[in-house]
Amino acid sequence: MRRNSRKHWDKRKSRGGRSDKSDRKTNHHVANERLTRVVPHSHEVKRLLEGIGTPPSRPFKPDPFQVEALAALEYEDVLVTAPTGSGKTWIAREEIRRLLENGRRAWYTSPLKALTNSKYQEFIDEFGPQRVGILTGDRKENSDAPLIVGTTEIYRNQLFDSLRGGSEVTADLVVLDEAHYLADEDRGHVWEEAIILTPPRIRLLLLSATVGNAHEFALWLEEVRGVRCGVITGPVKRPVPLRAAVLLPDKRLLPLLNDAGKLNPQILNLAADERL
Amino acid sequence: MKLRMPEMPSATLLAALDGYNLLPAIVFLPTRRRCDQAASEAALARRDPNDSRREARRDFMRGFVEQNPEVRGHRHWDTIIRGGVASHHAGHIPAWKLVIEKLMSAGLLDAIFATATVAAGVDFPARTVVLTGADARTANGWRPLSASELQQMTGRAGRRGRDNVGFVVAAPGPHQDPLLIAQLLKAPPDALVSQFRATYTTLLNLLDAYGSFASVREIAERSFAYRDFAHQLVQLERSRAESENKINEALKETGCEIPMSVVLGLERLVGIRARLQEAKPQTRAEVFHRWLNEVVKPGRIVGVGRASRRLVIVTEKRDGSIRGFREDGTTASFPQERIGRVYSPVYRLREEDIEKAFEEIRKRGKELALVEPRLRDAYAEETDALRIIDDSIDNLLPPEIKQRRRCTEIIWQLHTTAEDYERATRRIEALREEVWVPFERRAKVLSIFGYLEYEAEKVTDRGRWLADLHVDRPLLIGEALESGLFNSLEPKQLAGIIAALTADEDRDYGELELDDDVVTSLARFEDIGFKVSAEEWKHGLDPAPELNFSAAGAAVRWAGGADWSQVVSETRAEEGDLFRMFSRTGEALLQIAGLRRSHPQAAQMAATVAEMVLREPIR
Repeated sequence: MRRNSRKHWDKRKSRGGRSDKSDRKTNHHVANERLTRVVPHSHEVKRLLEGIGTPPSRPFKPDPFQVEALAALEYEDVLVTAPTGSGKTWIAREEIRRLLENGRRAWYTSPLKALTNSKYQEFIDEFGPQRVGILTGDRKENSDAPLIVGTTEIYRNQLFDSLRGGSEVTADLVVLDEAHYLADEDRGHVWEEAIILTPPRIRLLLLSATVGNAHEFALWLEEVRGVRCGVITGPVKRPVPLRAAVLLPDKRLLPLLNDAGKLNPQILNLAADERL
Repeated sequence: MKLRMPEMPSATLLAALDGYNLLPAIVFLPTRRRCDQAASEAALARRDPNDSRREARRDFMRGFVEQNPEVRGHRHWDTIIRGGVASHHAGHIPAWKLVIEKLMSAGLLDAIFATATVAAGVDFPARTVVLTGADARTANGWRPLSASELQQMTGRAGRRGRDNVGFVVAAPGPHQDPLLIAQLLKAPPDALVSQFRATYTTLLNLLDAYGSFASVREIAERSFAYRDFAHQLVQLERSRAESENKINEALKETGCEIPMSVVLGLERLVGIRARLQEAKPQTRAEVFHRWLNEVVKPGRIVGVGRASRRLVIVTEKRDGSIRGFREDGTTASFPQERIGRVYSPVYRLREEDIEKAFEEIRKRGKELALVEPRLRDAYAEETDALRIIDDSIDNLLPPEIKQRRRCTEIIWQLHTTAEDYERATRRIEALREEVWVPFERRAKVLSIFGYLEYEAEKVTDRGRWLADLHVDRPLLIGEALESGLFNSLEPKQLAGIIAALTADEDRDYGELELDDDVVTSLARFEDIGFKVSAEEWKHGLDPAPELNFSAAGAAVRWAGGADWSQVVSETRAEEGDLFRMFSRTGEALLQIAGLRRSHPQAAQMAATVAEMVLREPIR
């Protein structure tokens, strides 16, 4: 039985190889065809692909969860959990804008140097170069600016320094971007230390990917800091809906799931064929 | 449910996706090499028919080069311009990754072939995310993707404002499994799990700030990890209180005026008795075996074989197997059972000492041999102990207690409840220690090297500057600084040493030849490292990773002023790996450069070397 399936697999492999060559020859052709010929789709593929394309542009309007988070920041710490790309950064940016306009200060931490550098540029474009500084392991610019962008490690080190009699961390708001890094095996402890050691007078805004225990996490924040912490959950639905499909070696596309959300039976059949 | 389908050629895959209007796409592949291959293959086979987009890409990249000259003439330049596809992974330098991200968000690329590292951190979405497999590659083979890994990947599907729908497509691949993907798509998100741990830096900073172990402990016990323990503690304390109630009520009911401590005392004695009984050696062989476990150790000479005539000096002992040298200098390794005799002196394991050692044993072997215990003696010891315990059990009840028989019965009946009580107590104690013990161990190691005073709970002057040294292995660097090693080095050698320390342990940065001077200083550094890890090991701390000599070679070259392209071609390492390693080396050097007050000379040099390392394109 095992040997059989092996043979089968080898055969497929060689077939794949052949199709490769023929594709290469005609590829030029295929690419040019894109605009003129539409692959005849089955009913279910039509449904799978329905609505594909670009939406008409609309003026930006904040999501309710974004507005809610901004409102909550007025009187408590806030933990925002939402999927990537759903607009967590907007919340931080607007709150920072409000603070800077009132002559107050903020620290924005991110886990990676690359992210820190791109946030730095983004904030310079937004607030002007005088108002933004950056601190990473090998970069220190405008470190007295009212808005500091830096790695979480550097922020934690500043907390250590101030505890040991150095200068105070003067921020009114600390944003911990990618706060789910707390679960990172190597560096997660730095996030916990930063949270535990941030003075309660400083408002914390934590931006995190969706996690399973957001409320427990927020309860811990409250216990540790003695400050109330609101949990704002981003849209349960993704900002752009997701559909799943399977592409077969013969280039057929099948929906991965059926209407009931179960695995498409056609795929099960294919798998059964494989085993023969 | 694996679907074993060979991976599609990348051009075929893109043509198929294009047929369904599913581009642009991010195609996840298991290795960096596969990404590079797929991108160049696709670029060869496809030609973007849209000339204006090709021109737009060229203009875009020309503009980018002015700010980032290091991407000029990149080996994948044509792949992007001609094919409108790119590979993106940790092997590329940040500037190159950035240009790809920007091209993608400008809508100028049709596909990116990427490893899963892209999923974390950078944000560039596409209409479609393609998975060529349901497994992730690890250092030791393949494992299924986790729900959150898949969510990170599918999080890139669908561009806000530019797509009505995003797609995840399971494409053919040898590790494809549509069922697993379907399940993972529905799985709830992973919970955040604390990774709180003790580090030298945290310990020194907190102790210096708060002035007592108790305060450091109090902080450690505020960790998210400890919150879990705290819940367990509450439950354990509750169940312990229940056991306590049960015992007290039972005692009251029967009118036995014995304190609870007597009941618990019985539990302990019975426990010890059971363990002793179990541990009692039954045969001569067992007695001998235990004796060998105790007395055979490195530095001792043992007699091996039937008549125990062949002598071996033990150098290592692990899991009952022994390694050592014979008299003729050859190495020997054998199971411990083959030892028949053990001699008492413990010799130093140096060549000149070993020769003398064998000579001494040959001459005075008889008087120096250790006497093996007899079964009867061993037995007698255990039997005595058991008798003492039995007596204690009999005398547990205070003499003034009346109704002795009935009360004895009661305390025996309460034995299992007492066991529950004691078990909970032990677990509570263990949990309370869990978070703190790793700190305590580190405190002991630091005190051995003089960075804190353990009894006084004080950070020393040395410890104060070590607290400021934010590097991966502060203690090792601290010891190297104190030994004056860095003062005797040339600048580029210092770069080599720090690179060897900060580089990933297993990563290969080429086999560049090292000068004798560099090798000598690395060896001295390694010696210091050995001293540090020996103490750490003794105190139950995890062994530190080994120095990476190949990183040292590359860093010496770079700090010596070599060209970027020269270093890349000579080491044959991937640019991204070199970049990260040099960048981390530079950061560590800047940390040392901050110790101007305590180590002015080394700090000065580190500052110079940091500048040599942190030059274009490393910034």
